[in-house]
Amino acid sequence: MTARVARDEAEATYARWLARGTQIGLGALVASFFAYVAGLLAPLVPFGELPRLWQLPVAQFVAQTGAPTGWGWLARLGAGDYLNILGVALLSSVTAVAYARVLFVYLRRGDRWHAALAVAQIVVLLAAASGLLAGGR
Amino acid sequence: MLADMVGGGAVAWWVWPVGLFIVTFALGIIAVLGGVGGGVLFVPIVGGFFPFHLDFVRGAGLLLALCSALAAAPRLLNGGLASLNLATPLALSASIASIAGALASFYVPTQVLQVVLGFGILAIAALMWREPAAAKASHVGDRLARALHMHGVFHDSSTGRDIDWTVHRTPAGLVAFAGIGFVGGMFGLGAGWANVPALNLLMGAPLKLAVGSSGLVISLSNSSAAWVYIQSGAVLPLLAVPSILGVMLGSRIGARMLLVARTATIRRVICGVMVLAGLRSLLRGLGI
Repeated sequence: MTARVARDEAEATYARWLARGTQIGLGALVASFFAYVAGLLAPLVPFGELPRLWQLPVAQFVAQTGAPTGWGWLARLGAGDYLNILGVALLSSVTAVAYARVLFVYLRRGDRWHAALAVAQIVVLLAAASGLLAGGR
Repeated sequence: MLADMVGGGAVAWWVWPVGLFIVTFALGIIAVLGGVGGGVLFVPIVGGFFPFHLDFVRGAGLLLALCSALAAAPRLLNGGLASLNLATPLALSASIASIAGALASFYVPTQVLQVVLGFGILAIAALMWREPAAAKASHVGDRLARALHMHGVFHDSSTGRDIDWTVHRTPAGLVAFAGIGFVGGMFGLGAGWANVPALNLLMGAPLKLAVGSSGLVISLSNSSAAWVYIQSGAVLPLLAVPSILGVMLGSRIGARMLLVARTATIRRVICGVMVLAGLRSLLRGLGI
């Protein structure tokens, strides 16, 4: 019974953090998108240029627009289009944050297996987010 | 096709995100009614009939599947319809493979991606055409499942019974999820169409728990792959955000229509649309 209660606590904690993080991420995404299309912040790539550019492979798009890769988008948050990436990045980070919180639940109850799996999942997400893993033709 | 008719760059830029919102809103409705994920419909349809390059379509498809999974996961967990203990090891395998798939996709020629996507979508449509089979829940777990505590009690509200569940063939399940993660990362597809059979038919998880836990796995594997697309510059907000909003709003309407809709018929219609989109992708890849 204790194990079941403890497991439920981990799931409830994970669910709570996932819900909060998703709300924040979606809120940021919607707000930044409306700021972008309403013209409140000038975009890096002008709207009129996009129908020609979005037909290109990503490497050519980057080459022709000077669009940032890796963590370069952080330096471009003042541009309406790249402010949207903040919301996308928040949404892509929610699961790692939720696992980091649940890790404490696992450690407190001495559940080494699940603590190790949570750490491994966080490491994989951090490796993906590191910017060392990016591609282009 | 749609792109060819209006000449791609010949129309005002805003027509495309508005059209995308309308199409993804409809996709969100029929995806819920047909019991499929929006991601598996989005990539072939938008990739086949809109002027965007497949790189950006795959990035948007991955993100909309991620957002749908994230929005649903807390409710599924709180309702006992998903298990973190079941999802975590499988998601770890899928996440690593989805990063590899996403990375590989940027080195494979677009034509090859389109041909493989076309064949893949036709195969998924063929799988979906058949009524989904369901395996009985497993009551005897293997050693790995026991070590990872991949077991629990699932309350089936339709029968009012508590079902003790565990899983078997866990090593095979980990390999299957690696394969599914790779395909999901490479093509930006949500992977519910493959996750659920892997969890239910291969590993013996109860069907409803498999459906819910599949969403947890997608939220993790797509988070990993999404970072590769972000870092590669393959996230185009004007394509991704209207699509995310369209599918999420459409799926809410679809959930309300679920009680009155003829889901079997809708499922067949979806299969027909997928065949068209798969053929379109195949022909594009072959330069026809």
